[in-house]
Amino acid sequence: MPYFDHSATTPVHPDVLELMKTTQRDVYGNPSSVHTQGRKSKSIIEKARTQLADAIGAKPDQIIFTSGGSESNNQVLWSMINRNIKHIISTEIEHPAILNVLRAMEQFGINHDCISVDRNGIMNFHEFENSIRETTGLISVMLANNEVGTIQPVKKIVKTAKQKSIPVHTDAVQCLGKIPIDVDELGIDYLSLSAHKFYGPKGLGILYIRDKESISALIIGGGQEMGLRAGTENIALIAGMGLAAEIATTNLHSHVHHLRNLETQFKTGLKLFFPNAIFNGDDIRKLPGLINVSFPGFKSDIMIAKLDRAGIAVSSGSACGSGIVKPSDILRAMEVEDELNICTLRISFGRTNTADEIANLLSEINSITKS
Amino acid sequence: MEHVIIGLSGGVDSAVAAAQIVQQGYSAEGLFMKNWEEDSHYCTSEEDYKDALQICELLGIPLRSVNFSKEYWDKVFKHFLNEYKLGRTPNPDILCNTEIKFKTFLDYAKEMGADKIATGHYARILRDNKSLRLARGIDQNKDQSYFLYRLNQKQLSQAVFPIGDSDKMTVRQKAKELGFHNHCKKDSTGICFIGERHFKEFLQRYLPAQPGDIINEEGKHVGQHEGLMYYTMGQRQGLGIGGGHGTLEKPWYVLDKNIEKNTLIVGQGNDHPGLYHRSLSCSHIHWISGKIPESKLLSAKIRYRAQDAPCKIKMTSEQSISVVFEEPQFAIAPGQSIVFYGQDICLGGAIIDSRWN
Repeated sequence: MPYFDHSATTPVHPDVLELMKTTQRDVYGNPSSVHTQGRKSKSIIEKARTQLADAIGAKPDQIIFTSGGSESNNQVLWSMINRNIKHIISTEIEHPAILNVLRAMEQFGINHDCISVDRNGIMNFHEFENSIRETTGLISVMLANNEVGTIQPVKKIVKTAKQKSIPVHTDAVQCLGKIPIDVDELGIDYLSLSAHKFYGPKGLGILYIRDKESISALIIGGGQEMGLRAGTENIALIAGMGLAAEIATTNLHSHVHHLRNLETQFKTGLKLFFPNAIFNGDDIRKLPGLINVSFPGFKSDIMIAKLDRAGIAVSSGSACGSGIVKPSDILRAMEVEDELNICTLRISFGRTNTADEIANLLSEINSITKS
Repeated sequence: MEHVIIGLSGGVDSAVAAAQIVQQGYSAEGLFMKNWEEDSHYCTSEEDYKDALQICELLGIPLRSVNFSKEYWDKVFKHFLNEYKLGRTPNPDILCNTEIKFKTFLDYAKEMGADKIATGHYARILRDNKSLRLARGIDQNKDQSYFLYRLNQKQLSQAVFPIGDSDKMTVRQKAKELGFHNHCKKDSTGICFIGERHFKEFLQRYLPAQPGDIINEEGKHVGQHEGLMYYTMGQRQGLGIGGGHGTLEKPWYVLDKNIEKNTLIVGQGNDHPGLYHRSLSCSHIHWISGKIPESKLLSAKIRYRAQDAPCKIKMTSEQSISVVFEEPQFAIAPGQSIVFYGQDICLGGAIIDSRWN
């Protein structure tokens, strides 16, 4: 069954699965225990921490394991309460695990400005500069967007922020294995990753923290994760994430090459039989293999259902808990008209997709749009 | 193979309907409809969706979701409010069937490639020569043909009611056997979008209330009402007058409303003659067959939970009918639907405008 929804989640890499299976079976000691089994568990966690640190150019003691991207984002934002921060800057196209947290923080007297984006989904830099206040204590801007794939000017943001000594967080959940990530190169202070976006397990993420003094625990309990995330560690998932990160960075160039080829094949083919297709986002500053495309006159919920019937998985902007497809807030922020918004698919390619599968996808889209 | 899309609410009736469709060998898909936006931005229909999803997983069919809340608001809810504003007692579930389930939903299902739609209604479709007839569900207590009287031949030709031949007990039993979590889920009561909420509170959010006098038939002031729209003909509870328990005084009932004077007219005892009428006039007539029945001696229900009673009908104009019942009927309410039957066949109906003796 062709799966083209890798931005939502990815299937676990077979090597990662194998490692998690054996780890779950054989490595059962509590990492906080000092006996052999405990030490074994501990060393597996520390190996994974190193793998993740290497993947983003960080030091191992700057990485803590969390339950995923949402928790990592929450931890950075809620920490600001303890630091007496009064103002945060973000963008209109962040993940709900940023936007809804910012809304929830209002009741604690923490205000925020969400910077608008241009038609391509890139943050308006001028507006960003103008919204920096004396009280601004954090900037949180995603490295690349989950729906349209646009890469935000994070490095430039950091440069501006540094002049005013404002720390910067980036949600890089969509990025590992698709673009190089180097925390020092970016100059970032905090960064969130989620394992299941790069062929690792669901339920595990990391938070990169440049300076541990600047953050506090969201889950309080035992002293795990340098006191910043309590709870007995999920060793198998952590080992899996470590390996997944290593594979993703080792294979970065070939993976990107593969995704670009598929993307070119799809775009070229689609333009031939459906020239009215509109590609949303930025042509250049975007993640490879993520396509956001509008089919004027063809509603996405019906297209998704028809493709699903043909065994093909694609998605649209967002769906609520009862599976209802809504107009995408991100496309709205990009000023895509609602009429076009509801006719938009997100197609995201991955590691195991083949040229034959893309040909199949094109032919199914062709038959849907011809009927 | 015919492709059928089943409207799944998460309730037991539509779940068993889906099971029947699958067992009958149709190619099937479930569709979960959301017709009402909650005030909170979180998705509260998620519980129902989860039930629907469990059913589809067990049946091995896909489930899709669709949001018709805009259509529902425009075509059902606005009309509902308007009727209340006029002091009438509308039945939004009937309108929901004609405007949403058998129009918007049907069109959507066809766009999705369905040949037919199925729902969990307790009613049957019978083929009679070339025309289709709507018959009561086998379970007399659950029969829902009343709500479907505005369907036309085309709509019936594209609909399947898989549980019309079953009674509720069998349906629940079957749901249990199939392992559906919802087999003992409570039947939904009242108007779907109001749910278990307090009706008065709900209506208050949309319509301004104009309090006024409650008078008896002689025009004597007996109390205050909170707004005519909150009361319906024959209503006994919530009038705030009378002695209540332990007194010998007979309870008060709503006999009528005077919209112009904003007064509510009440009388004592459920045998009060002002509660009973033999004749009524109705409009917005619809016949399922497309034409007026040959026999003018029919039976009719003036509300869902009424027994149908023998009556005679007469066309008084192109758009209206007068109906005379053999026996006076309790609490005929303008805005409600009168639905006509010939034995087990639902013939059609109309909206009640006025009643008299």
